[in-house]
Amino acid sequence: MLCHRLLARPLAKISYSTLFIPIANMSTTTAPTRKPMPSALTFDRHAKCSTTKARASTLHLPHGSVPLPIFMPVATQASLKGLTYDQLRETGCMLCLNNTYHLGLKPGQAVLDAVGGAHKLQGWDRNLLTDSGGFQMVSLLKLATVTEEGVRFLSPHDGSPMLLTPEHSISLQNSIGSDIIMQLDDVIATTSPDHARIKEAMDRSVRWLDRCIEEHKYPERQNLFCIIQGGLDLELRKQCCEEMVARDTPGIAIGGLSGGEAKEEFCKVVHTCTELLPEHKPRYVMGVGYPEDIVVAVALGADMFDCVWPTRTARFGDAIVSSGTLKLSHKSFADDFRPVEEGCTCICCRPTDQGGLGLTRAYMHHITAKETVGAHLLTIHNVHYMLNMMGKIRQAIIDDQYPAFLRKFFSDIYGGDKSKFPEWAVGALWGVGVDLLADS
Amino acid sequence: MPLILGPRRFPPIPCPPANTSASIALLTSVGFTQLSAHDYVKAIQKLRPDIAVGMVDLANKQPGSKRRGKMVDRTHAWTRDALEQLYGDAVAEKDKSKSAYFAPVLPLDNAQQSLYLDDLESEFRWDISGLALYQSASLGFVPESLANLPRLLFSEPETPQAILRDISLGADLLTTPLLGASSDGGIAMGFVFPAPAPLTEGKSERLPLGIDLWTGDHTTDTSPLGEGCECYTCKNYHRAYIHHLLHAKEMTAWALLQVHNFHVMDTFFAGVRESIQRGSFEQDVQTFSRVYASSMPESSGEGPRLRGYQLPANGPNQPRRMPKVYGLLDHAIQKYAEAQSEIATPDTGASGLEEHGFAEKL
Repeated sequence: MLCHRLLARPLAKISYSTLFIPIANMSTTTAPTRKPMPSALTFDRHAKCSTTKARASTLHLPHGSVPLPIFMPVATQASLKGLTYDQLRETGCMLCLNNTYHLGLKPGQAVLDAVGGAHKLQGWDRNLLTDSGGFQMVSLLKLATVTEEGVRFLSPHDGSPMLLTPEHSISLQNSIGSDIIMQLDDVIATTSPDHARIKEAMDRSVRWLDRCIEEHKYPERQNLFCIIQGGLDLELRKQCCEEMVARDTPGIAIGGLSGGEAKEEFCKVVHTCTELLPEHKPRYVMGVGYPEDIVVAVALGADMFDCVWPTRTARFGDAIVSSGTLKLSHKSFADDFRPVEEGCTCICCRPTDQGGLGLTRAYMHHITAKETVGAHLLTIHNVHYMLNMMGKIRQAIIDDQYPAFLRKFFSDIYGGDKSKFPEWAVGALWGVGVDLLADS
Repeated sequence: MPLILGPRRFPPIPCPPANTSASIALLTSVGFTQLSAHDYVKAIQKLRPDIAVGMVDLANKQPGSKRRGKMVDRTHAWTRDALEQLYGDAVAEKDKSKSAYFAPVLPLDNAQQSLYLDDLESEFRWDISGLALYQSASLGFVPESLANLPRLLFSEPETPQAILRDISLGADLLTTPLLGASSDGGIAMGFVFPAPAPLTEGKSERLPLGIDLWTGDHTTDTSPLGEGCECYTCKNYHRAYIHHLLHAKEMTAWALLQVHNFHVMDTFFAGVRESIQRGSFEQDVQTFSRVYASSMPESSGEGPRLRGYQLPANGPNQPRRMPKVYGLLDHAIQKYAEAQSEIATPDTGASGLEEHGFAEKL
């Protein structure tokens, strides 16, 4: 049924992507013969928005099918902040993140091998994605320097010099056994003023991708994603897309964003990259983000997102709702006996007669940021909110109602006051044919 | 599930302000405060618990004779007033409280609180539904005419053996802070009542009351916390995972341990009830002490992060409660604290990292 919709659509809308295919083809024909890149996923695209570049699809991975677009909660150290995996399952989550850097430190590769991988370790039978640890290396470690071999750093424990290479990262991720693994990339802040360094990082990330592909032992059960780098320089981003698309990884990530750059710049980069990426592969924008960032990035053609913000903010007592966030520690909630979000179907908000806990804002106010249970409950709500929002986004795309969804989404957050809509979002959506300020 | 309301948490956090003749001092999430006897009764009326524990004047330290007198007088007055306001003749029939009132018995000799106990036996008798006791010794001298009332004992038994002792002395409802303390310490409790068959002659090794999941022998152990344990944690997770979570300071560790430890404690109490019904309790208690070690295992790790109101008030010049974890990263603590809240620091040196396959030495 969905295919009919696609076939019936005028071809004009996909001219952008067809325009660039010859370039990508050219580079593959001239490139040296590469190790064939098997894929352990299938990507079914069900619908594409007739106005924006938003796509609704299903990503079939070794541990189950994931509806796209999707938000992936971050269980950094093989645990989602106090939740059991049944609680995470109940939010509808099909794919969550672990971090290679953290799992490499604790419990370490030997333990992962002995236990039989991260799924077995944490009792999670759905999909896992692991970040390569490059970002954490550079941002968390003292005196980390990146060389062609890898990341040189001083052991935080005894100060002796060490080296982490793309080979180490992939070998660790092979031991972790995650369904999607990320290449080690050369991460630098997008806001870096050093253009030569940004170009070097982009070129190096391409070379490291080759080393990752070479090292990857289980391409038939773990999907390696490349990571597009190039800072905010759109030319570099284009070059990087071209190089990396030619390597034919099962999925593609856009990296180096969400590092404090202006939102306009962020949108330009996503827009530029998705123009050049093949339609039949999942696209993952790393480290994003807030609900507003996500709905815009979906319109720009991205499919996958991860961010610690929803779970972190839960621990500070902030609930994500359709009108923004509620700071539940504020005393105005002390005698507010409504659920956190009216109509929300998470276990906390759902009334008791529908099998939920029927918790009130007053109760959440009472325990929040005081008792760990407060953190657990709000984490459940926030993850559920994000996944439910992704579900609504997906349905809107399938119904070809995404522009209307966007207008309602922003209207809900800003109380219907269009003058308050963020300029960057209005601009970015204008660029894909949505007038956010029009009457819906 | 029945709900019991008490005026303060158990075990209480001692606080510097003193109780007054109309209120008790508490440490709350917003600092020290006084809870007046009047407000407490209003709270009972409003919150409608199944059981309300009467307000009691307890001393932080061993009380002298003057303080003891005050304790009795205040508790006596508070009990009389509370019963009057909850169930008194002046209260309209429909407004009478449905909550069962457990009257406190002070942790003093009977002689010292005889006037109060006399009133409990006579004037208050038909308004009270149970007794709240604050030391095991009180179980021994509950007046004959109050013997039929259920007894809630607020004490801190450190072992299941101590719990059994309190039960033999006649406690019906018990507090077990040892449960939460075990979870916080990374200890998975592991004992059943009645104990498994006594050890054969010649073997002197007693069974441990629990296992410390911090220790290195659990790193790759995928067996459940308790053999054959039916709890949620044991059916879904294993020792290696809890061990990892403890070392990673992930709060799921303590949540899962709590689930397991509650299951062990519930099963233990179910076993106790059956044993009493069977009439074999005294004998089972003796076997239990022979089979199991006499104390809980020591925890070798740190507990979860505690918040201010979970800790006793700070005196001047106290040492840090938790050791610093950042070591060489000290210079950048501020920067990192802003950037990331979940910094992991390897707890092994360069050779360890190399062994882990994490990176190689240069």
